[in-house]
Amino acid sequence: MTRVMSESADPPLLALSGVTKRFAGVTALDRVDFDLRRGEIHALVGENGAGKSTLIKVLGGIHIPEAGTILLDGRPAAIRSVADAQRHGIRIIHQELSLAPNLTVAENIYLGREPHRRGWLLRRKMDDDARALVASLGLDEIRQVDAVVSRLSVAHQQLVEIARALSAQARILVLDEPTSALSEAETEALFATLRRLRSQGVGILYISHRLEEILRLADRITVLRDGRSIGTQDAAHVDQRELVRWMVGRDIVDHFHRPAARPGEVALEVRDLRGPRTFGVSFAVRYGEVLGLAGLVGSGRSEIVRLLFGIDPIERGEVLVDGRAVRIRNPRDALRAGIVLVPEDRKREGLVMIQSVAFNVALPWVERWIAACRPDARKRRAIVDRAAQGFGIRMADAEQCIASLSGGNQQKALVGRWMEERPKVLVLDEPTRGVDVGAREEMCAIIGSLVESGLAVVLVSSDLSEVLGLAHRVALVRDGRIVGVAPATELTPEQVMQQLT
Amino acid sequence: MKLAKEFAPLLLAVLALEVVFRFGIPWLLRPNPDFWTLDNQIGIAQQISVNAVIAFGITLTILIGGIDLSVGAVLALAGTTTVYLLGLMDVDPRVPEWRLKFSSLEPDTVDAMMAALRFGALGVAVLAGLGTAVGFGAFNGVCAAKTRMPAFIITLGTMKIARGLAHRFNEGRPIRIPEYHTEFLALGNGRLFGVVPYSVLLMLAIFAAAAVLLHRTRFGQHLYAMGGNREAARFTGIPLARNEIAVYVICALLAGVAGLVNVSQLYSAEPASGEGFELDAIAAAVVGGTSFTGGIGKMAGTLIGAVIIGILNKGLNQAGVHYSLQYVATGVVILAAVYLDVRRRA
Repeated sequence: MTRVMSESADPPLLALSGVTKRFAGVTALDRVDFDLRRGEIHALVGENGAGKSTLIKVLGGIHIPEAGTILLDGRPAAIRSVADAQRHGIRIIHQELSLAPNLTVAENIYLGREPHRRGWLLRRKMDDDARALVASLGLDEIRQVDAVVSRLSVAHQQLVEIARALSAQARILVLDEPTSALSEAETEALFATLRRLRSQGVGILYISHRLEEILRLADRITVLRDGRSIGTQDAAHVDQRELVRWMVGRDIVDHFHRPAARPGEVALEVRDLRGPRTFGVSFAVRYGEVLGLAGLVGSGRSEIVRLLFGIDPIERGEVLVDGRAVRIRNPRDALRAGIVLVPEDRKREGLVMIQSVAFNVALPWVERWIAACRPDARKRRAIVDRAAQGFGIRMADAEQCIASLSGGNQQKALVGRWMEERPKVLVLDEPTRGVDVGAREEMCAIIGSLVESGLAVVLVSSDLSEVLGLAHRVALVRDGRIVGVAPATELTPEQVMQQLT
Repeated sequence: MKLAKEFAPLLLAVLALEVVFRFGIPWLLRPNPDFWTLDNQIGIAQQISVNAVIAFGITLTILIGGIDLSVGAVLALAGTTTVYLLGLMDVDPRVPEWRLKFSSLEPDTVDAMMAALRFGALGVAVLAGLGTAVGFGAFNGVCAAKTRMPAFIITLGTMKIARGLAHRFNEGRPIRIPEYHTEFLALGNGRLFGVVPYSVLLMLAIFAAAAVLLHRTRFGQHLYAMGGNREAARFTGIPLARNEIAVYVICALLAGVAGLVNVSQLYSAEPASGEGFELDAIAAAVVGGTSFTGGIGKMAGTLIGAVIIGILNKGLNQAGVHYSLQYVATGVVILAAVYLDVRRRA
C-alpha cells in the first residue's frame, strides 16, 4: 500500500496521527493515522469491529484517545467533549437519526440553538432562516420547513440532519452508514448533495459497508482492520475485489455460492394477495429453492412479507402451504402453517435487546421448556445449544446479553431460533443489512445449507448482487405488484434496475 | 386559526356536552333549563379552576416524558402548612387588648399597623406553603434528572411523604382559616365586580403565562425536544437536567397555588384533601391531546380538557345521576377522547 502524497501545500483540514484508544485492555484503535482534506469525500471502510465507530466517537468527543494527536488546519486540537467537537466544526450524522420526530424541520435544524431575544423564541425568524439555509444548500426536498419531521421519509429526515449540521458551520461532516435505509433514488439524491457540499469546501468522512457505493462516491479510501489504519488510496485506483481483500486481509473470491438447485414440491403458493399496499401478488416457492423478492425501498416488498406473516391484514387472496389453503390472521397462524420470518429490523422486530442470547433463542419455544409452571433449565439449555452449534453463534456464554454480540451473530441467533422445529418456509427480510463482509459470507453459507437440506426460502433484499447471487428465481416487485419473475441466471443487475425504476 | 382548527374536535365536544346537559337525552338524562344560566356556567369555571391549574403543571411533566403523581398530596401539604401558620400567628384585629395596648396612638394608625401585621402574617404563611411545594418539586426534579429512577416511582414516593406530612398538622383534622383573613378567603370565594370569581381569573392568568412559556420561549421549545427525542436534545446541548428540574418545580409550585385556592374555597385546610387530584389533572391533559409518550401537547388542549371534565361533572351532578354512574361516564369520556386523538394522529 502506498500512501498518496498530499499535493497541496495547505495543511489538511483534519489529521490524526498515532491515535490509540483502549477499552478494558482491548485496543480498539491502534496508532491510527488518517487525514481529511478540504473539499474531499473520504471513505472509511472496514469490517465490524475494525474500529470505525470508535474512530467516529473520538472525532465526536464521545471517547477521548489515550495517545496520538489530532490536528485541525495543522494546529493541535483537543476534543474532550461533544461541545468541543461541535466548536471545531465537526458534525456527526449517526446511523440512528437524532431528530425530534414531533418537531418541524426548522425546529430540528435549530434544535438547541433557536434564534431568540432574551429567551423569547423568534419563531418566524427561525422558519425564515431555515428556508434560506435549505435553499442555499439546495436541499429542495425539505423546503417545507414547517412540516413535522415524523411525516418525512427517512431520506428526507437525513437531509434535515445534514442541514442541521451545516447550519452550525460544520466544516467536517461525518456520515455513518447514511444509505442503509435509503432507496437507490434517494441514495443518488444524497450523493448529489454530498458532491455539492464537497464543492463548497466541506470535508466529508463517509462510512459505509457498501463498497460499490464508496467506489462511486469517494475521492480517497482509508481501510481500518483490527483497529489499525491499513492504508489510504485514491478511489480511482482500486476495485471492489481489492478493497475486500484489504478489509478482511484475505481474498474473498465470490461471496455468494448459490445452493444447488434441486427444487421439490411447491411449499408455498400465494394467489392474488391484496393488502394495504399490495395489489394482487402471486408467486410460488418450492422446497429446496430460494425465491428472491427484489425491489427498491418502498416498492412494497416488505409489505408482502408483512401480509405473509400475518402482521398486516390480508384483504383478499389465498395463501397455500403444501397445496392446502391456510388462513393467516396473525403471526401465530403463520407459524402454525410453517412460515417463519427473520425480520428486517433486528433490534426492533427481532430480538429483546436487553435480554440474554438464551432468552432470545428459547423465546418461541416456551411451551417446550416450561410445563405448566415448571421451567426446565436443561431443556431450555438444549434448545439454545442446538441453535448455537448448528449456526455457529460466537459467544462467550449463552447467558450473555444479546446486545453484546456482533450484528452477524445476532442474525445467526435469529435464524437459529426458528430451526428448533423445522419450518417449511423461511422468509428472510434483508438478512445481511448492517452485517460485515465476513459475517455476510457466513450468513449466505447458512442460507445455502438450509436450502440444500430442503427448506423453501423467500429472500427479500435491496442488495441486487445478493438476490441475484443467492436466489434461483427472482420476482421483481414494484408499486406493490410483481412485475416479472425470471431465473436469476438470466438476469443482470442492469436489467433488474431497469425494471424496478 | 391553525389552533382553532387543531382543537375543533375538542371544542365541538364542549359544545355537544353543553347542549346535551341543557336539553337532556330522552329516557336517559333529564333536561336542565338552568344549565345555560350565567351563574351555572361561572360555577363550572370556578369548580375546574383547581384542577386546571394542577393540570397545566402536569402537562409540562408529561410533555418531557415524565409524570408527577405527587401534586394532589403537595396541594394538601401546601394548604395545611399555610393555614397552620396563619393559625399560629394570631393577628386578629378584633381583639380588644390590641387597642388597649396602643391606646396612646391614633385609632387609624393602629388600624394600619394591624393591617400590616395581618398582611405580613399572610405573606409569611403563603410563602411557607408555596416554598414547601417548591421544595418537593425541586426534590422530584433533581431525582428525575440526576438518578435513574423513573419519574412515576419518584413522585409515587414523594406523594406518600407529602401526604404523611400533611396529616401531621392538627392530628389530621381540618384546620379552619381565621375568618379575619378576608382577602385570603376571597381568593376562593370572592368575585370581581361580583361576577367573575378570582379563582377563575387566577387560573386564566396562569394559563396565559404557561402557554406563553411553553409556546413562545426557548425553554418551551426545549421541552418539546426533550419529550420527542431526549438523546437528540442532549447532543444539541440543551441543558436537560436544568430544564427537567425547572419543570418539576413549576408543576409543584402550581400544585401549591391550587392548594391555596382549594383551602380558601373550603374555608379550611384538610390534610386529606386533594386525593386523586393528580389523576383528574392527568385526565384533563390527555383528553386535551397531550401524548403520554411525551413531546406532543398544548396548554390550550389541557384547558379544554379540564373544561370538558368540569362540564361533565357538573352536568351529571345537576341531572341527579347517581355518583357511581358519574365515574363510569368520566371513564368513558377519557377513553373516547384519547382513542379519537390517537386515531387522528395515526
